[in-house]
Amino acid sequence: MIYPLSVDVSAAVATTVHETVTTVLGPVPAHELGVTAVHEALLSVVPGAQFAPDIAIDRAEIFEVLAAKLRDFREHGGRTIVDSTGMFHGRDVNLYEALSRATGVHIIASTGMGPEEMLGGYFLTPQTNPPTPWPAEKFAELFRKEITEGMVVPRVERRGPAGLVTTTADPNGMTPTEESLFRGAARAALDTGVPLSIRYGADALHDLGIVLDEGLPAGRVLVGGLDRADADGAALEVAKRGAFVGLDHVGLNDHPNYINDAQRTSLVMELVNAGHSHRIILSSNAIGVAKGLPEYHLPFSHVLSTFVPFLKQQGLSDEDAHRILVDNTRELLTHS
Amino acid sequence: MSKVNTVLGTIPAEELGLVAIHEHIGYGMPGSELDTTWWKTPEERYAETVPKLRAFHEYGGGTFVDATGICNGRDVDYYKSLSAKTGVHIVACTGFVGGDTALPHFARASVDYLAKVFIHEISVGIGTTGSRAGVIKVGVSRGGRMTDLDKRIYRAAARAAIQTGAPVLTHLAIDAENAIAIFQEEGLPLDRVLFGHVDDGVNAENTRDTWIAEQGGRVGFDTFGYETELEDPPFWARPRQERLDHFLRFLNAGHLDKALAGADANCSPLGWAGVKGHTVNYIFEDLIPDLRKAGLEEDAIRTIFVDNPATFLTLSA
Ligand SMILES: [Zn+2]
Repeated sequence: MIYPLSVDVSAAVATTVHETVTTVLGPVPAHELGVTAVHEALLSVVPGAQFAPDIAIDRAEIFEVLAAKLRDFREHGGRTIVDSTGMFHGRDVNLYEALSRATGVHIIASTGMGPEEMLGGYFLTPQTNPPTPWPAEKFAELFRKEITEGMVVPRVERRGPAGLVTTTADPNGMTPTEESLFRGAARAALDTGVPLSIRYGADALHDLGIVLDEGLPAGRVLVGGLDRADADGAALEVAKRGAFVGLDHVGLNDHPNYINDAQRTSLVMELVNAGHSHRIILSSNAIGVAKGLPEYHLPFSHVLSTFVPFLKQQGLSDEDAHRILVDNTRELLTHS
Repeated sequence: MSKVNTVLGTIPAEELGLVAIHEHIGYGMPGSELDTTWWKTPEERYAETVPKLRAFHEYGGGTFVDATGICNGRDVDYYKSLSAKTGVHIVACTGFVGGDTALPHFARASVDYLAKVFIHEISVGIGTTGSRAGVIKVGVSRGGRMTDLDKRIYRAAARAAIQTGAPVLTHLAIDAENAIAIFQEEGLPLDRVLFGHVDDGVNAENTRDTWIAEQGGRVGFDTFGYETELEDPPFWARPRQERLDHFLRFLNAGHLDKALAGADANCSPLGWAGVKGHTVNYIFEDLIPDLRKAGLEEDAIRTIFVDNPATFLTLSA
C-alpha cells in the first residue's frame, strides 16, 4: 500500500502558525491530524541502557518493529502519533523521520525530561561548587531551543522542532528539581505555543497548579496518569480547571496501580455526563520498542479499535467519540 | 607475560614508556550532550586534541590513560583513531567517575550486574569497538561521602578486578576507610588500586594519603596543574607550591613505590568550558622540571612515571 507524502511543505508554509502542528517532517495543517494517540512511546530507552553490553540496539530491527506497529495503527484509522518520551529516553529523530515517511503516519516528537531519577548528572550535580541542580529558567531555555531551533541529535546536529513539551514528577511527590522541570517546561510551552504534557507525581492538582502558576493557560496542558488507582476524583477536578484529562493507560487491566478498562469506561461516561467531553484524551502509553525496561506490546491502535467501540456500546455518542479521538487532540496539539 | 589493554590491542607493559596515569581526551557530565553550548565539530575536536598528543609523544610520553567513565562521553572509536595517528598508546577505562555520573540503567543495577558489565568491557570489549578496557574507574560522588551507589560500584569493580586482573583507579580518595573496607571484604590486594586525586584543592586536607599508602594502596597525585595561579582556575585548584610540597612530603615519607602522578587534563572538554592553559603536557613542561629542581633523582622520576604505572596497569590475573 502506498501512502501519500505526509507533508505538503508548500501548503504548510502557506498556513499560519495558529493552524499548524509540528511533526518530525515539518509543520502540518491541524485539520490533517485525524485520529491521534497523544501519550505513546516509539523507541523507549532507559538512559544508560544504550551503553549496556547485554542490550542490543539494531536500528534496522527497531525500524521494522516500529513500522509494523505504525502501519497497524494507520490501518485502524490512526493518523498521528505523539512520542511523549521527551529528549532523553531514547528519542531518535532521524529514525522517526524515516518511519513517518515510510508509514504515512504523522509523528510528533517531544522535548522535556523527567522525573528527576531519569536525569543525567549534568543537570543534578553540575561541575560547580556547590553542585546546585538546574533552576527552572535553564530548563526552560534548553526546552525552548528544541522548539524554536530544532531537536538535538546529541553532539551532532539539530533536526526539526519538537511539537510538545513533556515532564514527569516522582509518584512519591514532586522533588524540588522536578518543580524546576515543571516550571521550565511551562515557560517553554508558554513562550513557543506548543502544548505541555505532564505526568503528575503524588498530587495531580498540585502539579497542575505549578504549571498554571507560570501563566500557562489550562487549555494548553494535558495531565496524564489520571487513570491511576490513586488519582481519586482528580480527573473531574482537572477538567473543571480547563486542562485536558489524560486517561492514558487504556488497555492496562491488571496493574495494581491503575484502574481497569471497565473503570475507565465509567470515568469517561462520568466526565461526559458532567459536560467535559471536550477535555478527555485517551491514550495507552504503549511502547513501540523498549530497551532497558520491560516490553509493553499493546498495539497503538488499541484505543481506536477496542476501547472506543466498547465505550460506544456503553452509550458514548458518535459525536463525543469523534470529539475525543480527533478534536480534543487537535486542539491540544495545535500551536497557540 | 605482562599484558596491558590499550584501545588498539594488548601490548607488553615494557612498551608503555612514560605514562600519564589519569587524563581525559574529553570529559562531560551525562546529559551535557543535550546542551549545544558545549558542542564542537569533529574538526575542532581533532584540532584541539591532536597537537597535545603529538607534543606529548615528542616530549617522550608513551601512554595516555583515559579515565573517562562509561556515561561521560567516553568515545573509544575516536580514541583508536587518535592513538593510531599520533603513536600514543591510549588505555580506556570501564566503570564510572562516581555514582552521580552513572545513568539510571546502571544506577539501578545490582553489584553482580555492574561487575558483569566491567568484566565484559575488559575481557570482550567496549560496545562494538572491539577495544578492551585496561582499567576500572570508580569514584566518590559530590559531597565527599560514598553513597550507596558509589559503594556498589566499588564492590563490583573489586570483583571485576579480581576476575580480570585489571587495576582500579579512583576519582577522589576521601572516605578511603569505606573504600578500603570494601576492597578488603572482596579480597582485592590494595596494590591493585590507585587512590587518585589525593592532591585536589577541595579534599586534600581531609584525604589520608600516607594512611592509604601504609595500608598498601597506590596513591595518585594526579591533578597537577589545576593551580590557583591560572587565569581562570576551577574550584578544585590549589596553589602550585602547596601541591608540590604535599607530593614531596609524601615521597620523603618513604612512599615512592606507591606514588603516581598525572594532570587530569582534558584535551578537548565535552560538557564544560575546560581550564584554559592546562594540558597533559604539564607533566613535561612543569612537573618534572619542578621535581628535578626540588632534588628528585632521575631514578625516582622514572619510578613514578614509568615503573609504578607499568606494574599497576599490567593485567595481573
Ligand atoms: Zn579525571
